[in-house]
Amino acid sequence: MPISDETMKRIIAEYGGFELSDAELALVKPELENYLTELQNLRDLDLSDVMSARLLRPADGGQADA
Amino acid sequence: MPDSDLLKLTISEVAPLIQAREVSPVDLTEAALAEAERRQPTLNSFINIMREQALEQAEQAEEALSRGEYLGPLHGIPIGIKDNIATGGITTTVGTKVLRDNVPDEDAEVVRRCKAAGAIIIGKENLEEFAAGATSNNPHYGAVHNPWNVDHIPGGSSGGGGANVAAGVTFASLGTDLGGSVRLPGAFCGVVGLKQTFGRVSQRGLLVTSFNGDHIGPMTRSVRDSALVLQAIAGYDPLDPSTVPVPVDDYALIMERGISGLTMGIPSNYYYDHLDPEVEEAIRRAIAALEELGVETREVSVPSMQYAGALRFSSMADSVVTHEPYIEASREDYGPDTLYRTLAGQFVLGRDYSKAMKVQRIIKEEHARVMQDVDFLITPTTPLPAPRIDADTLDVEGGRQKVRGPGSGHVSRNTSPMNATGFPAITVPCGFSELGLPIGLQFIGRPWEEGNLFRIANAYEAVSPSRGVWPSLE
Repeated sequence: MPISDETMKRIIAEYGGFELSDAELALVKPELENYLTELQNLRDLDLSDVMSARLLRPADGGQADA
Repeated sequence: MPDSDLLKLTISEVAPLIQAREVSPVDLTEAALAEAERRQPTLNSFINIMREQALEQAEQAEEALSRGEYLGPLHGIPIGIKDNIATGGITTTVGTKVLRDNVPDEDAEVVRRCKAAGAIIIGKENLEEFAAGATSNNPHYGAVHNPWNVDHIPGGSSGGGGANVAAGVTFASLGTDLGGSVRLPGAFCGVVGLKQTFGRVSQRGLLVTSFNGDHIGPMTRSVRDSALVLQAIAGYDPLDPSTVPVPVDDYALIMERGISGLTMGIPSNYYYDHLDPEVEEAIRRAIAALEELGVETREVSVPSMQYAGALRFSSMADSVVTHEPYIEASREDYGPDTLYRTLAGQFVLGRDYSKAMKVQRIIKEEHARVMQDVDFLITPTTPLPAPRIDADTLDVEGGRQKVRGPGSGHVSRNTSPMNATGFPAITVPCGFSELGLPIGLQFIGRPWEEGNLFRIANAYEAVSPSRGVWPSLE
């Protein structure tokens, strides 16, 4: 979901602790949007069938490795 | 022997001369300091040349020799230390103005071990600001230049160390590697760069920007020297819980074994994608050379690398936490690349971090499985030779890629996965591009088996087209 410039600036100010000027935001926004797209890809990535040997395996009776 | 010839020896060549008292640690240190000062205007590889302290150390090393106390192959050897590794009483800037007055109380454990082994520290080496990038184009202390072509980057973030070793200024340099920051300068500067198994070397005293996957490793002129330095710095540190008490092998002994009959794995996916044609050709020649030495080839598949893009999100979030205390107070002291790199991490949620950790675990397990069938993996260290210092982007197969700042992960796509797995990896020079820029070959080994990595890398080094070739810097 696209984030408006104002929201983006507010999030950065609140969590990053610094204000971005409009010019700075214009400079960093394309790359930031690339990251946000990749982050969304990570969220959409379905790894439910790709289990680590160290993770819970419900199909095997819910036993996690010690 | 003239100083210029002396400085071109490897540690394993000069150490017996020191032991036999044919070469004096003071004379050798004087020669290295003179070379450092002569090259500094061209390479800008140091933030601080430590003339006074180095000569004091060298005199102590000489006195020890006169008492018959020889500490081993690093005794009297001039080395460099990246400026994000703590040196007691000496400014450690991490390449940023934010920490320009930071003077640690004590040495990092690796520095303590190097000094205990008799090494002479001649300076703190230039790097990317906060070690966060692959160019070593530092906004505060200036760009480091590649000795093979000063218009090109040396790689980063340990660029000062790579340039110094390649130019014959230091015999070894300690760098740090969070995504390839030892191996990239190794490849771009035509030297050997090692990232050993995570937990093999203490990180105490390293000013980290991520809590996951950072390593301190050596850059040297030969594989044998890499083994000598690792032998000195490896081992359990009770004050660093990331180190593991796994016995440290005798690397020199393991290197003597032959390599015939070993099996190399060539990944069929990911690692050979988007390669510069000159890099691909050099790597294929190296593979053929290893086959001639009796190494068997097996194609392997690492399908989980399709998720590799997720690995970066944990370190992005870590960097927010690292920089938080500094940004509010000293924002104006940040270079733009580093400052803007912290922005994306602010959007990483807890579940994103956790999912990135799951991906990391899956990739690590898959590499462990693959390594059951082969003795080592072989890949290009970087997909391309060193870009120009003034390049912001590069056209590569598959599109335009950024060279610096946020989104510039293309250069480190083959090195950063081993920071996630923690497996050991070493880069060895394997030829040159048409422009005369070095190309690096990466060997990846099983955890704790650095000895085998040295064994195969040492055998390849003997037949590499890079052997004996020096940059013509005047």
